[in-house]
Amino acid sequence: MRKPLLYILLGLASLATVVPLLYMVSLSLQTEAETLSADAVLVPDSPQWGNYAELFTRAPFGNFIVNSLVVAGAITLAHLLFDPLVGYVFAKFRFPLRNTLFVALLATLMVPFFVRMIPLYVLMATMGWLDTYQGLITPFLMDAFGIFLMRQFIQPIPDDLISAARIDGASELRIYRSVILPQTRPALAVLGLFTFVFQWNEFLWPLVATTTPEMRTIPVGLTLFNQEYFTLWHLTAAGSVILFVPTAVLFVFTQRYFVRGIALTGIK
Amino acid sequence: MSSHAPHMTRRDLLRLAGAAAAVPVLSSCAGAPPAQTAAPGTFTVYWNAGHDYQAYRKVIAEFEQANKVKVNLQKYQWPDLRTRLLADFASGTVPDVVEEPGGWVQEFAISGNARSLQDYVDRDGEAMGFPSDWQPVTVERNSYQGKVYGVQLHLTCNTLLYNKGMLSEAGLEPPTTWEEFLAAAKKLTKDGVHGVALNQDHGYIWPWMMQAGVTPFDPETGKVMTPIEDAIAALQFQADLIHKHKVAPVPVSSTDYSGPQKLFSAKRAAMILTGPWDLEPIKKTSADIDLGVAPPLKNKVQVTQAAGTSMLVPAKAARPDLSWDFIKRITALEVEQAATKETGMLMPRVSWAKLPEVQQDEAIKVFAEALPIAQDSTQEVRLTGQLGKWDERLKVVYQQVIIQNEPAADALRTFAEAAEGFLR
Amino acid sequence: MTMLRPRTLSGRYARTAYLFLIPAILFFAAFFYLPIGNVTATSLRTGPQADQWAGLGNYTQALADPAVRHSFLVTVIFSVLVVIGSIVLGLALALALDQPLKGRVVFRVLLLVPYLTSVAIVGLLWRNILDPELGVLNRVLGAAGLPEQTWLNTSPLLTIAAVTLWQSVGYTMVLFLAGLQGIPETYHEAAKIDGADPWHRFWRITLPLLAPTTLFVSVMAVISGLQAFGQAYIITNGGPGDATDLSVFHIFNVAFRARDFGYSSAQSVLLLVVIVAFTLVQLRAGRRGEVTY
Repeated sequence: MRKPLLYILLGLASLATVVPLLYMVSLSLQTEAETLSADAVLVPDSPQWGNYAELFTRAPFGNFIVNSLVVAGAITLAHLLFDPLVGYVFAKFRFPLRNTLFVALLATLMVPFFVRMIPLYVLMATMGWLDTYQGLITPFLMDAFGIFLMRQFIQPIPDDLISAARIDGASELRIYRSVILPQTRPALAVLGLFTFVFQWNEFLWPLVATTTPEMRTIPVGLTLFNQEYFTLWHLTAAGSVILFVPTAVLFVFTQRYFVRGIALTGIK
Repeated sequence: MSSHAPHMTRRDLLRLAGAAAAVPVLSSCAGAPPAQTAAPGTFTVYWNAGHDYQAYRKVIAEFEQANKVKVNLQKYQWPDLRTRLLADFASGTVPDVVEEPGGWVQEFAISGNARSLQDYVDRDGEAMGFPSDWQPVTVERNSYQGKVYGVQLHLTCNTLLYNKGMLSEAGLEPPTTWEEFLAAAKKLTKDGVHGVALNQDHGYIWPWMMQAGVTPFDPETGKVMTPIEDAIAALQFQADLIHKHKVAPVPVSSTDYSGPQKLFSAKRAAMILTGPWDLEPIKKTSADIDLGVAPPLKNKVQVTQAAGTSMLVPAKAARPDLSWDFIKRITALEVEQAATKETGMLMPRVSWAKLPEVQQDEAIKVFAEALPIAQDSTQEVRLTGQLGKWDERLKVVYQQVIIQNEPAADALRTFAEAAEGFLR
Repeated sequence: MTMLRPRTLSGRYARTAYLFLIPAILFFAAFFYLPIGNVTATSLRTGPQADQWAGLGNYTQALADPAVRHSFLVTVIFSVLVVIGSIVLGLALALALDQPLKGRVVFRVLLLVPYLTSVAIVGLLWRNILDPELGVLNRVLGAAGLPEQTWLNTSPLLTIAAVTLWQSVGYTMVLFLAGLQGIPETYHEAAKIDGADPWHRFWRITLPLLAPTTLFVSVMAVISGLQAFGQAYIITNGGPGDATDLSVFHIFNVAFRARDFGYSSAQSVLLLVVIVAFTLVQLRAGRRGEVTY
């Protein structure tokens, strides 16, 4: 394809994704009256930076941020630890029941979370883990998405590399750590990013698993800015912008792993 | 990992294994953990996020002082509060007091999840004026099999809000009947202004239905929406405002109720049919609008829909004495007075309607005068335990007619037939 | 390509495999299969507390319920739109941004941006944009002298599918980008020397070697399409009428609005069976497409 045309198409696509989000930024800077009126305001007359400060005075928003960071961060680390190992086993080992176990694993993705939610809630209540970090984190330590992703990305790694390491007498764990893992950096970056994004935005579990305002995460905390019959849009939008910042920063840091070349150092 | 990260000790693991083995089938009480409340010394209240009034904060502080507990006020949106509460009922870990949006008291009384408050009413009723000082409809909708299960906190109703400037410019008096309403809407509609804006939510069907003399469900005969011709005419009347007379915009299905208010605030709708909750946003967005509030319309009868929140105590709540004390304090007349002064909310006490805050406020006064003719339309359906199914189907029918312009007759007859089937 | 298949990793590594799997098996048993077992048990019961035995009653009722069938149809249409759209657009964008373009980092970031925020916020945002009376889009269109849109009323399902696509296309793009990094440059160079044109190289080299990623993307897209929920919950509330009554949204309402956990559990189990069947078909088809070195 000719390059100028490519630039135009990519530019249009990027505009389409970014402009609606800029409108969210605009909402976050409007007055309450502007957001409650039917004549939608595109650019506010005078930007209300105070909306952001108001988040922190009307609710323990600092707590929400810390809670979200702790919960999403811990879960992401756990995934980076567990998912590649299990994915490696499914990609490169032959063992009885492998396919059955794999399908059973995938099946766990096919039940909507709210269906499992009440049994999980009962479990956590019995453990006395409601309103604690371990209660928010434990049910999400691994998931089939991450394992499946890693399996798919480990599969193309040549088997020769593994057998060569075995002949050299390397232990299985060592093979995993020093042969497999370095090959999967793009996939690990993807896994870390998506796990974090998913958990960062998770709503239902933190809603039921917390019992005090101080333990809420940002998405659950944001519901405090709704009235019974209308939404305080200026505050909800400001909270959404804040919610968005860490995932965007994380992406800027991880995206370099998707650049051709880095992934393959050391193979040839 | 930080110290907050999951750090499982062996004891935790054992507990986890034990708990996993003991997880009961969702609901069945067998094997369910005993009733417990999050932390002793903490008194948990589930509240609507929009009702965190200063007036209530003051009462809560007094309640904490008197009972030596700390109140954990958990604020939610209604759907979230319900999700949370149903999970609580399944686990047995329940809050001490729950505010509900109307209808849940009877629902949870039937299911055995709400505690009867009759013993407390027998003891304290006379002193606090319950039920004598509460509007009768609020007592009835919170009772089940002759026992009180909940106490009304706010009582609202639906009536007509209009833009005084626009009406007088068109030489109109506020309409009192459907005919006058339609004529006014036609006259008020011009470029950029709708005569009226209707809500997308099917709950707004009820004032019309009741004004047309329709009985939603008659448990004696098992009939739904009788007389059906009047019900069809009432629904078609609403649709015609939009599609035939074009005096109202087509609403959009969503979870949001604020569409008509926004149009009214922007002077793009001259009239809306709504409750007192829209007074504050209108004041905030457009102080320049001279707001008029008129009594509910009349067709065959003059009547409107009663709504508003109540409080209930879960059956497994550990300290019902405290829960009752909380309810008693927060429904005292001076608290109602303070809350009305602060927010303009309407209250269920008969004596509240005579307060100067009510009588001297032009808007609130009209609402207060409409409260005695406000009715709870879905009570009979609720008592069958099938309200969920009923609402699901009614929503579809309402939107098919109002938004998608399907003929009311077919849609409503199909609905009635289906509903008579599952209500039997 | 050397065909080094099973024999090198023979049975004696099975023990190692199971050793590595033990934590996962325990975890999934406790947090997935135990609850799924609970749900299955609940599906055989009825009543607001799901404490009365119903046998298979909930299942026969669900299979005959027109609302259940309708919501399934709506969900399938929605999924087809979203799955095909996100694979085609995601792959196209990934191929474009895999080339040495100036500023491709910026494009990548901008295209993924919608995925970084939640479905709920995206839903609220688009409702604020698309509402015919109140939304900002019609204000812009009106100011530009263009006809106003009423998509949420005239083609609601297509609209929420488009919003979903808007949010998720960057996500499939990133997955494909990561997959493209796993294809050794040498293959492309060899093909270039052989004189293959770009179109040919795409079909003969890129696409086959991308098969594991494509399988992953399509399996996950089907699973998440069939389980879409937030779009209906936040943007349309399932309406107008029942036009966007997606299955999972329907099941959620049966559970938490109507409080019929037995009936909702039976519908969840049925949906589970359907999704497993779809996935098995995809995996089988995918296995044929998988390439070994």
